[in-house]
Amino acid sequence: MVPVQWYLLLAAVLFGVGLVGVLIKRNALIVMMCIELMLNAANLTFLAFARQQGNIGGHAIAFFVIAVAAAEAAVGLAIVIAIYRTTGSVNVDDVRELREEG
Amino acid sequence: MTNLLSLVDVNLASAASFRPELALTFGTMAMFILDLFWKNHPARPARLATGALLVLGVAAALLVSQPTAPGSLFNGMIATDGFATFFKWLFLLAAGLTVLISAPGKDFPPARLGEFYALLMAMVLGLFLMASATDLLMVYLSIELVSLVSYVLAGFKKGDRRAAEASLKYVIYGGVASGVMLFGMSYLFGLLGTTSIGQLAGRIQHLQASGLPAAATKLTLVVAMVLITAGVGYKIAAVPWHMWCPDVYEGAPTPFTAFLSVGPKAAGFAVALRLFYGALSGPSAVTAGFGEAVGGLPWPAIIGVMSVATMTLGNLTALAQTNLKRLLAYSSIAHAGYLLMGLSAASDRGVQAIMIYLLIYVVMNLGSFLVVILVAEATGSESILDYRGLAKRHPLAATAFAVFLFSLTGIPPFAGFVGKWYLFVAVLDRVPGPGGNWYAVLAIIGALNSAVSLYYYVRVVRAMFIDQPYAEPRQAPATPLMYQLLLSASAVAVLVFGLWWTPMIDWTSASLQIFKG
Amino acid sequence: MNVTAEQVIFLAFAVPLVAAAIGVVVARSPMYAAMSLVGAFFCLAGVYVLLTAHLIAFLQILVYAGAVMVLFLFVIMLLSLGGEGQQLDRLKQLQWLGFVLGGGGLMALLAWISREVAGAEMAAVGPDFGTIKAVGRALFTTYLLPFEATSLLLTVAIVGAVVVAKEKI
Repeated sequence: MVPVQWYLLLAAVLFGVGLVGVLIKRNALIVMMCIELMLNAANLTFLAFARQQGNIGGHAIAFFVIAVAAAEAAVGLAIVIAIYRTTGSVNVDDVRELREEG
Repeated sequence: MTNLLSLVDVNLASAASFRPELALTFGTMAMFILDLFWKNHPARPARLATGALLVLGVAAALLVSQPTAPGSLFNGMIATDGFATFFKWLFLLAAGLTVLISAPGKDFPPARLGEFYALLMAMVLGLFLMASATDLLMVYLSIELVSLVSYVLAGFKKGDRRAAEASLKYVIYGGVASGVMLFGMSYLFGLLGTTSIGQLAGRIQHLQASGLPAAATKLTLVVAMVLITAGVGYKIAAVPWHMWCPDVYEGAPTPFTAFLSVGPKAAGFAVALRLFYGALSGPSAVTAGFGEAVGGLPWPAIIGVMSVATMTLGNLTALAQTNLKRLLAYSSIAHAGYLLMGLSAASDRGVQAIMIYLLIYVVMNLGSFLVVILVAEATGSESILDYRGLAKRHPLAATAFAVFLFSLTGIPPFAGFVGKWYLFVAVLDRVPGPGGNWYAVLAIIGALNSAVSLYYYVRVVRAMFIDQPYAEPRQAPATPLMYQLLLSASAVAVLVFGLWWTPMIDWTSASLQIFKG
Repeated sequence: MNVTAEQVIFLAFAVPLVAAAIGVVVARSPMYAAMSLVGAFFCLAGVYVLLTAHLIAFLQILVYAGAVMVLFLFVIMLLSLGGEGQQLDRLKQLQWLGFVLGGGGLMALLAWISREVAGAEMAAVGPDFGTIKAVGRALFTTYLLPFEATSLLLTVAIVGAVVVAKEKI
């Protein structure tokens, strides 16, 4: 039997890697991939606890998270295409029209 | 099998109290389709606006006829209660005003107006669900529904660098915030075995009685709640999750900025109130105040600190702004700070103060953005320089803007004062109790912040009434009658309710029933 | 401590999963990042099977590794994006270090609390736990409203994506 802690540890590592990626990556596409990693980490935690408690609710939640993540990816990627059209770059550092003056 | 059937029966029965939401769902779909049919009609904007208002009107009529008894719907997913109904009215009001503002404006070309209205209806539905969600899963889904529409509408202007940038920043911040919130929810689910908000407090007490190591349990609860607060705090633009706010407000089309500054903020507060006040506060909340702790977590104190940080940062940064949209963005961050004071008071009075304040805030903030739209259409800019001499060019706009700005400051004859008064009373009520000194400090900082905010609001008023025009005014286009009506109505409302506030008090007292399941 | 076959299988999925996740972050080109992410999703599906989450494991491959990643790859191809190819200056490096340390700290905290808190044993579950039947029952009874809300959310997302990305009005 694999203890539930192993799964939780794995999820924590995935979440941490995703969060670090969001903070240090400058390419908007890779930032979005890192957000997907974070969502997957949450899903893994839900499923691990669902298995531990025999609670099928965790599976239902994971199902919704997958659907929402797909929708979010679709909108996010459409926005990346839009910004590439207007600025010619998907680097979040190149995108700085909006900021404090002076 | 009978067990399953009873669950199905609950779902079927719940549909009776779900009619406004159904009207909005079908309204969204109808708007998508009508948009295609009226593609080249000359009276397109008027027809689409009428259609959108009709959808909101049907939802409002169904909301009136809905049974008022509080109860749980759809197997504990959402609740119907006076609290949710109050916020639903708020969203309908804000959405109706936004439709009226955007119809004659230039921010949305007629060809794309239909998509805007349809998506706005979907967003109102999301806000309805946020205000009534009693399950963490529903909180997550409704926040996502609102966010997805917001990302799209923030970048609605085609080929505009600022709009594209606003939506990119929004989608990245929003994605991270919702991912973090979801991770927090997963820990809460694991620790407590439920996602139902009403059951959280009971399960936490049960957990403390069980044999798990106390320090680790407490720490897990703290981590989970902090992560969830990130998601909610991002919606209300509270420090430290406010970074997206000025950029998105500046880049988005102004009518949508106006809606964004009131709708999601109010919905975020509805979620926060349900979560922190409705569920986490135990029976001792009546007396304990800052001492109130669930799972050893003094959440009113944490929110108090957040409140101070939010209003101070919002006001101090607003001082330096010269773009009116950015100035109003920072002012809206500061207002989130004032509203958090009411949440940190953790009393019925605090909740009522938040509701009163949000009601007034909807009118005065939408009115302020309407003036920004008016000036931007005449001069093509949002800089404070273009507000110089506005009193001569457009006396109505200048007078109304002055009323809104003084009301945002919270100066007596205007409605904003009533809202602020109730917020401060809610905090000062806590001063004799435990942790009272800290509440006194909170109130003093709030008062100081209001004084600071007077400075930058008055700067705008001075520009409008005293300063000489920056450039020779061009021939300004005629103001649409709709704008004149809306401006006068909002300004009059702010004045009238500043002097005669009993209806607001009565309505909010009657709406103070939070279903606890 | 005896290592059981299940634990070996877990490690066989978990170690490549972590490696692939780190690969997403360190990759310079979005293409490599996307391929790493596909690998991570596959390994994660394997872990889900160990948790007897059959339906979710199936959806993980179908929706994530299939649909979402194809979308990512499609956008990368469409925009023909190369690597980042820029040198990091010293300040950036310090910032990096800070973020990595912060993330690592959070990870350690989460790891510690998950070790302490989840004390109980795995529950005994019936043979149909995590199957389409069991999850479907929950979805269409208790979770009916979220299910319908998700369908609206997907519709809105599709329209929204078209509104944002289409060139002509």
